[in-house]
This record gives sequence, structure tokens and C-alpha cells, in this order.
Amino acid sequence: MSKKRAGAPRREMLVNPGFIIILCVSVLTLLGISILFSATAHFGSDPYYFLKRQLIWLVIAMAGCAMVCLVNLENSKRYVWIASFILLVGLVLVLIPSVGIYVNGSRRWLPLGPMRLQISEFAKLGMVFALAVYLGANQRHIGTFWRGFVVPGAIIGVTSGLIILQPDYGMAALCGAVGFLMMYLAGTRLIYLAPTFVGAVSLFFLALYHSPVRWRRIMAFLDIEGNRADGSYQLWQAILAFGAGGVHGSGLGAGRQQMNFLPEAHTDFIFAVIGEELGLVFTGLVLVLFFIIFIVGLRHLSRAPNLYQYLLMSGALLLITFQALINMGVVTGCLPTKGMSLPFISYGGSNLVVMFLIVGLYINTAFAWRKPVVRQQERRLREIIA
Amino acid sequence: MSPAFTSGFRLFLLAAAVAACFSGIGYRLYSLQVVEAGELALLAERARRQVIVQPARRGNIVDANGGVLATTRTLIELGIDPQSVTPADKEKFSELARLTGIPLEEIREAAARRTTRGPSGFADDVRLVRWVKLHDGIDEVSYGKVLDLGLRSVYGNRRYVRFYPGNELAAHLLGFLNREETPVGGIESHLDFYLRGQEGWVESERDGRRRELVQFRNREVRPTDGLHAALTIDHFIQHVVEEELGRIAETFTPQGATVIVSDPVTGAVLAMGNYPTFDLNRFHLEPIAHQRNLAITDVLEPGSTFKIVPAAGALNERLVTPSTVFNCGISSIEVGNRMVRLPRDHRPFGELTVEGIMVKSSNIGVAHLGVMLGSRRLHDYASRFGFGEPTGFPLGGEVRGTLHPVRNWDGLTITRLPMGHAVSATPLQIHQATGAVANGGVLMRPMLVNRVFNDAGETVVSFAPEARRRVISGETARTISGMLRKAAAPGGTAAQAEIRGYEVAGKTGTTQKIVNGRYSNRHHVASFSGFFPASNPRVVMTIIIDEPQTTGSAYGGLVAAPSFKRVAEQLIPYLGIRPSDGSENYFALERDIHDHLRQTGF
Repeated sequence: MSKKRAGAPRREMLVNPGFIIILCVSVLTLLGISILFSATAHFGSDPYYFLKRQLIWLVIAMAGCAMVCLVNLENSKRYVWIASFILLVGLVLVLIPSVGIYVNGSRRWLPLGPMRLQISEFAKLGMVFALAVYLGANQRHIGTFWRGFVVPGAIIGVTSGLIILQPDYGMAALCGAVGFLMMYLAGTRLIYLAPTFVGAVSLFFLALYHSPVRWRRIMAFLDIEGNRADGSYQLWQAILAFGAGGVHGSGLGAGRQQMNFLPEAHTDFIFAVIGEELGLVFTGLVLVLFFIIFIVGLRHLSRAPNLYQYLLMSGALLLITFQALINMGVVTGCLPTKGMSLPFISYGGSNLVVMFLIVGLYINTAFAWRKPVVRQQERRLREIIA
Repeated sequence: MSPAFTSGFRLFLLAAAVAACFSGIGYRLYSLQVVEAGELALLAERARRQVIVQPARRGNIVDANGGVLATTRTLIELGIDPQSVTPADKEKFSELARLTGIPLEEIREAAARRTTRGPSGFADDVRLVRWVKLHDGIDEVSYGKVLDLGLRSVYGNRRYVRFYPGNELAAHLLGFLNREETPVGGIESHLDFYLRGQEGWVESERDGRRRELVQFRNREVRPTDGLHAALTIDHFIQHVVEEELGRIAETFTPQGATVIVSDPVTGAVLAMGNYPTFDLNRFHLEPIAHQRNLAITDVLEPGSTFKIVPAAGALNERLVTPSTVFNCGISSIEVGNRMVRLPRDHRPFGELTVEGIMVKSSNIGVAHLGVMLGSRRLHDYASRFGFGEPTGFPLGGEVRGTLHPVRNWDGLTITRLPMGHAVSATPLQIHQATGAVANGGVLMRPMLVNRVFNDAGETVVSFAPEARRRVISGETARTISGMLRKAAAPGGTAAQAEIRGYEVAGKTGTTQKIVNGRYSNRHHVASFSGFFPASNPRVVMTIIIDEPQTTGSAYGGLVAAPSFKRVAEQLIPYLGIRPSDGSENYFALERDIHDHLRQTGF
């Protein structure tokens, strides 16, 4: 076995991972557009309102994706600190009452013409970028306390901290978790990471405990049915939607739960609408597609030419995967209620754009990382011929 | 699997953890959508299903001539949905204020009330307001105009409201619907089964805001409106009676007063009124005690009006003739080897015939008749006249009064019962006993409802007069009637009730009330129970006045009998009763009545 592993040439994937990703994302996006239309058609007077806006965002997102595909990742490193600075300013600006748009108790959006930009969506990608650049450049000092732990920890801390102030605990937790795992993958010593993990988790719960509404939400999660009249109403309605859908679903457009039973049916709880209208067949499909994106991405990582690109891709992959997992976990009642978009499916422009930027990265590397491997094979072939 | 610059183990650990999460969610989906699906689907179904009740319209209550006594009106409760207020709506608010009379400020304020704090009270627990009430109830016409304004945010819900056009007219007979739409007392309660109708319903689905999703409506049952009830009460007579009660209240400021008018032949109650009374449309504003129908709920000692019982008994048993003479100057009488002290008369009489006893209302005289009849027969006649048992009046709350069985009598009862002491009765019981005499000796059950009919006017349930029993022979009844005729003539106790040209028959009563266990000289109940024309009675009327405040004595003849006359004089032209002596003086009265009718709007 070891002989085979050592001797055999690096096995090529049957299909370019870029194509697999494009296929998965296309299916998810099409499904998302269909279910979004079904979930929002009865809102307000114009049934196409949300559909039209989402389609416009989709065009913007695909343009962004195409641009990222063409970027040279090594050259882009130069711009990381400029980008980070802009995003940092954005994160601060959004907290200023006269600038940030205040919706449902938090300040998350910056006005951008007729659209609204959720700055934290871009900040999380910026954080991944910055971490990848920094850790990639300090590869040899990764075991040290300062360069391996404190500085990257600060990058994560500043991002999460500013997002907590909005407040958006879910996004902050996501950034924290992804950044932490990037440090973990980069090789930061576990002796630093383990206490940090424990500390961060306890701090997070302490913060929750001091916000009675959120604490109640957590408590409600522990007894969904008992609290369905109050704290976990949304969640209970989502659970009912899954049950009502069963295996085959009630049919696209025939769901009833989105008719004011299910709040945020078009954003955070859209997975429940899929559950009701299309049943286990499609909720299972969504789960499997996200898993394929994760696994294929993970296998694809092994071809990364350097730590910077490796970390960049793993961070981006974790962003998609964690967001999907948290969203599905919340909607099915496995996790306490936390606002989190379902990538490619939930309504919301900023998230869609960021997710497609990540898809762009994926496609970019899928083609860029192939080249050295091909050259290696050519080299081997030449050796054999010679 | 992993490049040299990273740890394959770390990556593997992460991959394993994430894969575990995916399978966890996969398992959760399986359990929700397969294992628990049936149960959850049922709960979702239950939350969506809704049954919209469509109220039935409650039937009308009308009088004997079809005049409306109680009816149901449609009102529209008007409200605004602050979430759907458009700028165009705001411009029309002033127009809305003008149409409905709601202050403009109030509308603006309601439209601005967009959110409310949730039950938790936390700052971010905010709920949207979808309905703010603007007006309790506007009528259909105004609502039509409001709809014509085309406001998106303003709409109304129809509801039925019970309305009594006569306000306090026949209040005690009709009863009312309280705030919870529950009938309270009277016909409303008695005939509720017919009046209330059958609610309809719509089985449908609703969305999370509890609005109906019409496209999912799957069953609709129309409501069946309530039936209508026609009473024997006559609008006009009831009005006359209540007017008279008003006059009694003003003149005598009594504790209470009752007037009952009925048809002796059928037992149909033509009018029944009490003082104090209340306004049916504003029942909540007056003391609940005013809602008592004194005619059936309160008892009194009947006093002299009871004297027809021993007289009728003695005559019916052929123990005496109208001209049998009794010594009414004595003070005691022998009853079963024992001397019993006789009651006193209000003035001393010498020898009186049976007729004289009745005309002068001699207590000593009727004591003689009582002793002649003996305890058993005296009790039986009282009982046959309906004392001590319910009259069978259809409305609830009737009391039976007290007629003690013979074994409970003390030595004096045989001489006191004939004058109406030691017995208690409701005004209606006294009225029915007099009615039995007027009806040739047959006791009728009081009748209040003629029929129950549907919207097309077809009778659904009809009620017939009901004779309860023959109390005395027709001949005896005619004899008593003749005596009562003389009592209401000059020289009799009820001379004040006399109407020229009409044979009025009647018996007065003046009862001392028992205050602190003794008969009081200052607290009286004045009564008169009579009928006319004596030879062919058309109307029986009883008037009871509890504690009239008068400067002189509160004899029934002085206090109650004039009321009889006043009411009767209005009934003569209305019912077209011809004078017995052939004179035509009622035509003059008739003109007055017509003037009166025009003025009062009937």
C-alpha cells in the first residue's frame, strides 16, 4: 500500500473540481430563486418585487464571480491591507447612527444608492483574506506566541468585536469560528488555541446572558414546543413546516407556512419553506450539495501551492459550509435561533455577492492549481520517455 | 492528502467534525420529515384551519298587532389597519371624520399607532398593530359612504345589536340581551330557543395573521336567522298602562306599583307594567332591582280583593243566597264550641245581606261566610281560585305565594283568611282569581305569546288559550259579578272606578303591611281588581300600589280605583266596547284617543 502511494503518480480527480462547484452552485441558486418566488409571491402588492431584486443582485454577484476568476491570487496579496482598511472603516461607519441603517434593533447596513450593503458580509471575507496573507507570510513563525497567535487573534478579534457592536452575534460567532479554524489549520500551537477556545465560548455565553432577549431565545430553544407561543414561535412554525412537507412536500407554491406563520420566510427561514413545499427530497439535496462543496473543496485544498492560498481557500470554504450548517441547524431546531443566511438561497444581496465571490475564488484556484500538477506529470512522462 | 506545509491530521479532524454536523442535520431532517411528519402536519393543519362563525340575526318581538317591541339592527364596527395606511388615505381622513363624526385627531392618532410592545416588555419585543378601533358601530348607510371613499386601510366588521324601540315599554315582559349577548329575563329568555336562530359557519384556512385565505374555503353553512315572536301584549294598552303607572308614581311615590290588563275569556295578557321600571336599551344604568317583574315576583296579602273567595264558595255550595242576612255588629263568633274574636270593620255595620257584605266589604261578614264554609272548603276554594300555586305565567321567576294547609291554621285563621289575611299572593294571582269570576267561573292560564313565526310571516308555533279548571258554576260567577258591579257603583267601596254607561265590576283592597311583625297603620297596599262590562266582560284589570304616600287614608277605593277608571276610559274606544245603557258617549272619547294616538306616534 505504501509502495503504491509512493510510486504511483498523484491521482487526478476525474472531473475538475471547478465544474463540480459550478454545478452544485447552479442547482442551489436555481432552487433558491424558485423557492424565493414561492415564499414571497404573497407579500405586498407586487408578487415579483423580491424576485426582481434578487435577480438583479444575482447578476451583480455573477459579474463579481467572473472578475475573481480572472484575478492572480499571488498578485492580489498586495492589496490586502488597503482592502482591510476600507472594510474596517466600513465596519466603524455602520455603527454611526446617522450613517448605518437601523433595522429590527441592529445597525448592519450601509446605504448604497437604491440598495443596502451589509458591510459585515464583506468584512468576513476580508478577514479571511487578511488572515491568509498574514499567516502565509509568517509560515515559519507560526509556532511563536506573537506571530502565530496574538496578531492573527487580533485580526479576528477586531472584526468580530466590531460586528458584535452592531449587534450581530451570529455573524461575529461565524467570523470568530472561521478565523480560529484558519489559525488551527495554519498550525498555531494548540496550547494557545485550546484556552482561547474555552475563553471565547464562555465570553460569548456571558454576553448572551447579559442580553435577556437573546438569553430567552436560547432558553426557548431548549423547549421549542413549550415556548411556541412566545420565544420560539418562529422556530416552532419552521418545525411544523418540515413536518407538513414530509418526504415529497406539498408542491412548489402550495406551502402555507410562509403565509405569515413563518416570519423571515424569505431570508433566514427559507430552508423551512423548501422543507414544506419540496419535502425531504430537496432538503436532503440541499444538504448533500453543501456537503459535496465542502468535501470537493477539501480534497481540492491538497493541491494548494502555498500556505497563503491554502488558508484563503480553506477560510472561504469554511465560510460557506459554516453558514449553511448554522442556518440549517437553526431552522431545524438543532441550534438556538440566530439570524444567518442560507448561502445561494436566502434573499439578500450582500450575502449572495460574497458567496459568489467565494465561488469565483474556487473556480480561479481550480484552474490555477492544476497547472503545476500537469507540468509535474509532463516531467514524469519525459523522464519515462528519456 | 495534504500539502507538506500543513498538518493532515488537523485537516482530517476538521473534516470529520464538519461531516458529523452534516450527518446530524441529515438525521434531524429525517426525523422531522419522516418520523414525526404526521404528527407535525396535524398540528400545522390545526393552526391553519379556522371556523368563522357567522352570527344569526335574532328574531323580532312584536305585539298583538305586529308593532315591533324588540328588534336587531346591524351595526358596523369601524377600524383602521395602521400598516396599510397610504398617503392617499391620509388625505381622506378629514372626509372620513366628517362622515362618521370621529374627531380627526383620533383618526390620525389611530393611524400612527403602528407598533406595540410585546408581552415581554423588552425594548426589542415589538409587534405590529393591524387593527385599531375607530367607532363602535355605524349604520349600513354611513358604512357604504365610508367604503365609497376608497380608503385602503379602513374597514369594518358587521355585528348585530339588539334594540328596543319602546325603551322602557314592557321592559319587564321583554327582558333584554346583556353585553355578552345572553338573554336576561322576560320573553328574550323564555323564547330564546326560537329567537336566537342558528349560527352559520365557514370552514376555511387562515394565514399567520389570522386572515382568512378565501382560496382554501371548503365549507360554508349559511346562518339561519331567528324566528319572531308575537305577544298578546297590545302596544297601545301597554303604553296607556305605563303612562298610568307614571302618574301613580308621581302622585303617590309608592314603593312599587303593578297594573295588569288581560282578556278574561282567553287569559291573554294585554298589558303588564310595574313601577319602578327601566330602559331596556340602557339596562346597565339602573339598579338591578328595577328589573323585577313585581307582578309575578312579589307577594302581598291580598286583603279585601280576596273576599270573592269565601263569597263565591258559600254561594257555590248553596249555603247562602245573595239575600241571606248576617249580623255584622257582633265581635265574636262560635267556631266548634269555641268563641273566636272577629276582626273589626272600618266602620260598624248592622245587619248585612251577602251582597251587602261584598259591596261594603265587611270583614265580619266574610268571617261569617268563612265559618259557614268551614276550614276544609274555605281552603279548597282558595286553592281552586289559584292561590298558593303558580298561575302558569310563561316567564320565569314566578313565585307561588303562600296558602297554608288547614293543619297549620291557628284558631283565628278561619275568620281572618276570608278577609285576605294569613295568605299571600302575587298581583297576577289576584288578577287571575278576579279573571275567573269575569270568565264565568273558569280559571284561565295567563297567556303572553300568541305565536312564533318566520320571516315570511308563517306561523311556526302557535299558542292557544288554556283553561285550567272550573272554579265555580257560571251562575255563581254571574251572582258574584253582580255584587262586584254594585261595589263599583255609588255607595260601594269602589265607586271611584265607575264609568258612566258601563257596568264596571270590581273589588277594592286595602292591606296593612306587616312592619316589625305587626300590622302597621301607616304602611298600606292599596289594590283594585275588576272587570267590565260586567254582563260581557272584555277586560280584567288589577292595580296594586305598594305604600302609596297620601295625606288621607290609602284605601284601595281612593287610590287604586281611579287608575282603573282612567285606563278603562282609554280602552273603551280603542277596543270599541259599547256602553251597556245604549248611550253613545264613547264616540267623544274616541276622538280624544285618536288625538292621543297621533301625539304619541302609535
